Amino acid sequence: MRGTVPGEGQSQPGDSPSAGTVPDGRMGDAALRAASRRGTLALSGREVRRVTKLWSQTILPPVITAVLFMAVFGGALGGELRQVSGIQYLWFILPGLLITTVTGQAFANASTSLYQARNEGYIDDVLSSPLRSAEVVISYMVGGLYRGWIAAGLVLVAALPFVEGVENWFLALLVMVLTGIIFSALGVITGIWADSFDQQAFIAALIITPLSLLGGVFYNVEDLAEPWRTLSMFNPIYYLVDAERAGITGLHESAVWLSIAVAAVVAVLVTLWAIRMFRTGRRLRP
Amino acid sequence: MRAVHALGIHDLDKVYGDGTRALQGLSLAVPDGGFHGLLGPNGSGKSTLIGIITGLVRGPVGHVRVFGHDAVADPRRARTLVGLAPQEVHLDRFLTAREVLSFHGRYFGMSTADANARADELLAAFDLEGKSGTRPNRLSGGMRRRLLIARALVHRPRLAILDEPTAGVDLELRQDLWKYLSRLREEQRTSILLTTHYLEEAEALCDRISMIRDGRIVAEGTVPELIAQFGGPRLEDAYLRVMRAEPTEAPR
Repeated sequence: MRGTVPGEGQSQPGDSPSAGTVPDGRMGDAALRAASRRGTLALSGREVRRVTKLWSQTILPPVITAVLFMAVFGGALGGELRQVSGIQYLWFILPGLLITTVTGQAFANASTSLYQARNEGYIDDVLSSPLRSAEVVISYMVGGLYRGWIAAGLVLVAALPFVEGVENWFLALLVMVLTGIIFSALGVITGIWADSFDQQAFIAALIITPLSLLGGVFYNVEDLAEPWRTLSMFNPIYYLVDAERAGITGLHESAVWLSIAVAAVVAVLVTLWAIRMFRTGRRLRP
Repeated sequence: MRAVHALGIHDLDKVYGDGTRALQGLSLAVPDGGFHGLLGPNGSGKSTLIGIITGLVRGPVGHVRVFGHDAVADPRRARTLVGLAPQEVHLDRFLTAREVLSFHGRYFGMSTADANARADELLAAFDLEGKSGTRPNRLSGGMRRRLLIARALVHRPRLAILDEPTAGVDLELRQDLWKYLSRLREEQRTSILLTTHYLEEAEALCDRISMIRDGRIVAEGTVPELIAQFGGPRLEDAYLRVMRAEPTEAPR
């Protein structure tokens, strides 16, 4: 090692002309707030960087899957399934594919990244930092949101030349935002809760994916026979798919703004739940 | 006016969920600028104590103050002042060596420019310049250990906690680390809490040494004081006498 000790006489983290430190070098309130902002941005940036670096595992597969669904159902079987509820079938399934992509990817990213950090022990670097629980949870959610939205955005870009367009951009984006928040927060909860990769994969494979695909992605729920129609009404993802369909095509079965309101409340509740789980520290700290 | 200790611990208890009582009424003080050794066998409570100070172990009973800040009730301020090099080498495998340091600094509130500059300084100081773009899992064991210690120092902590920093490293690196840590204390007045199983390391570096056993501090003093109190020409003899004493004989 070299013969110098770097950094002598330099400032402490969080120092800035406006924030500053108290005379003995400890942080004042403003400096602590500035430090929190920087730390949150750093951890969020780390999560985004992980998604981008691993693009062939994080972005490409869900885009290919969704595009294949569109090619098979919208293209190869297009002659058989020309229209549903009076609209082109490809246009009909696009909203559900977007929601499925966001739910799966937002959930997978937040749960996997957090579980990996726990399992490999490097989460200690974050846990011993001055970041608050809410800031850490939001940073992990940012990674999930980024992955979900980028993947869904690419699916939308791939589909747009072949469909009639987007009826209500605001509604379509709002539903994707709420869906991303709900499922990235659920991913954080699963990342904290899971004791093994199997447990984490179990939630994704046996709960999230089936609920997504049975949420009226490929069919009109109102056309189903009983009891499937009633059962579908208990699937929360159905309402997100239906609201997204209202945004993309203008077609919907349920009360869209009620679905949005409920989704917004759920988004807040699951985020608070994730923060609370992180704050109590169970499964994170002995 | 009473001097503020770098670390002040009073009557600390920790019972894990399975009923294991890891710490029992432990008290310890490290003065500002002090180099304090913590010696004890595996399972004596050293890592639990360090975990409580750094927020990695929850729910202790008692008082832990870092430069006067309550590390349990107001942990954020305390954590900004502490740098931890843990015993186990856990480094983020998605980042390069330089990013490991830079991101750590930013988690602790440094600006990106400051954190990057500090990362470069420490990479140079720890002879890791040539590995700045390498991911930790591609570094040798000694390099990973150096990176871990460098990471603890990125945010310029006033108290560095080094949990067996020389475990499993070769003699040359160990001696380099000793020199570096001594200079860190002398030149920057960084307070250091060091745990180690190498008694000669504690003897060479520490002003004072605490011996921990069954979650309690059972002996404390300078090396000459400990030798005078417990006998033997070397610290090792005093250590063995303290650790082999019947629990009731162990002095508090």
